[in-house]
Amino acid sequence: MSKFKKEDSGGAPAMNTASLPDIVFMLLFFFMVATTSKETDPTVEFESPTGSKTTDLTPYKQRSEIDFLYLGTPRNPNRASAFKMGFALSLDNVVQATADGLYPTNAVGRWKKDKFSQKPTRMTAPIEAVITCLKADKNAPSGLIFDIRKELQDIDALTIAYSVRDKGNI
Amino acid sequence: MAKRDIPEINAGSMADIAFLLLLFFLVTTTIDKDQAYIRKIPKKIDLPPLDNKVQERDILALKANNQNQLMVRDNIFSDPDKISDFILKFYQTNEKNNDAVNNFPMYSKTTISLCDQNMSLLEQQVEEADRQGAIEQAKFFQNSYDEWNKKKRAIKLYGKSEIRELSVQAHIRIEVQQGTAYSIFTQIHNEIEEAIFELRDKECNRLFSEQYSILKRRTAQDSDPKDKDKIALLEILYPARIIEVTPKN
Repeated sequence: MSKFKKEDSGGAPAMNTASLPDIVFMLLFFFMVATTSKETDPTVEFESPTGSKTTDLTPYKQRSEIDFLYLGTPRNPNRASAFKMGFALSLDNVVQATADGLYPTNAVGRWKKDKFSQKPTRMTAPIEAVITCLKADKNAPSGLIFDIRKELQDIDALTIAYSVRDKGNI
Repeated sequence: MAKRDIPEINAGSMADIAFLLLLFFLVTTTIDKDQAYIRKIPKKIDLPPLDNKVQERDILALKANNQNQLMVRDNIFSDPDKISDFILKFYQTNEKNNDAVNNFPMYSKTTISLCDQNMSLLEQQVEEADRQGAIEQAKFFQNSYDEWNKKKRAIKLYGKSEIRELSVQAHIRIEVQQGTAYSIFTQIHNEIEEAIFELRDKECNRLFSEQYSILKRRTAQDSDPKDKDKIALLEILYPARIIEVTPKN
């Protein structure tokens, strides 16, 4: 018959989680600011070679100003024999055979022209100056790269960027 | 009358919503930057190629074969990292004094008066082409006029009445074969870029006492005409003339 109320037995006091959303939002904003969104998920597999003294393509401009094309091995290795030299070209997620493979030729040229006509009007650069960034697998043969280069030359898209992973940026 | 309490909104699931957003951004973003070597493709013209011989000393041929072996001026290079040293030699051997004996490109003097001469000549040619209605030709002459004007401004910035300039025909030539791996191709570009960066950085430090990389980053952000002139001068002193030869079948 004590006058005093017994203290709660055991159990840690509840933690105040009211500031948890704030912390998570902070993280969220960090990622939103520090990253660029993936344009496409390429449908070919590739691993870029490394290099140094590269130029940053998107320091202060948007990624949509640049057209990316991917050259790598098809995801299904059994399909590799269907492509010239075993490497497939991915244009906007559509796997194409390279220049003189299964599909009609000048696929790159038509794709690039198409891309150029879809650019918003505020991008006023002429087609010669619009960068075409080639992301190729480190084992991709140079012959295919020069095929692509030639198709770009034919339609006067005269700026090409050979993509690598910067050694100082891994 | 007692004031009625506004019911409190339960914010317990706020964290869940934020996490959901966070995860979405984590999945759809790439952290790596787009790094690349930017090159110009020469414009296609229908005219037959001019038949002017380029001296052997002006060519620096970097070759790679199907087995990914490298060759610099017909010497086999087992260590690709040494190519940049050779490129430095290509640029620097005759930089101070021309020596007819060695097999490296010559330098020649360009003076402000020569720039003025060429500019006035080109001005006349532009006018004449305009009169004849040859638009393409007028554009060509206008471009070369702009180039000489750029050169003149660069010499003024250099602080002397003349500048020693690399032979106009001197160039680096990349010759690969059909099966050369892309990594070897980019390695060659890497070595060229390294050598030219080193040359320009040294000169940039000497002339403007700042680093070339900082100067370049600043011009990418906002183009101050002064910085542009500085870069133009460095590019005239050490031009990057690269020819990529299409491999034969």
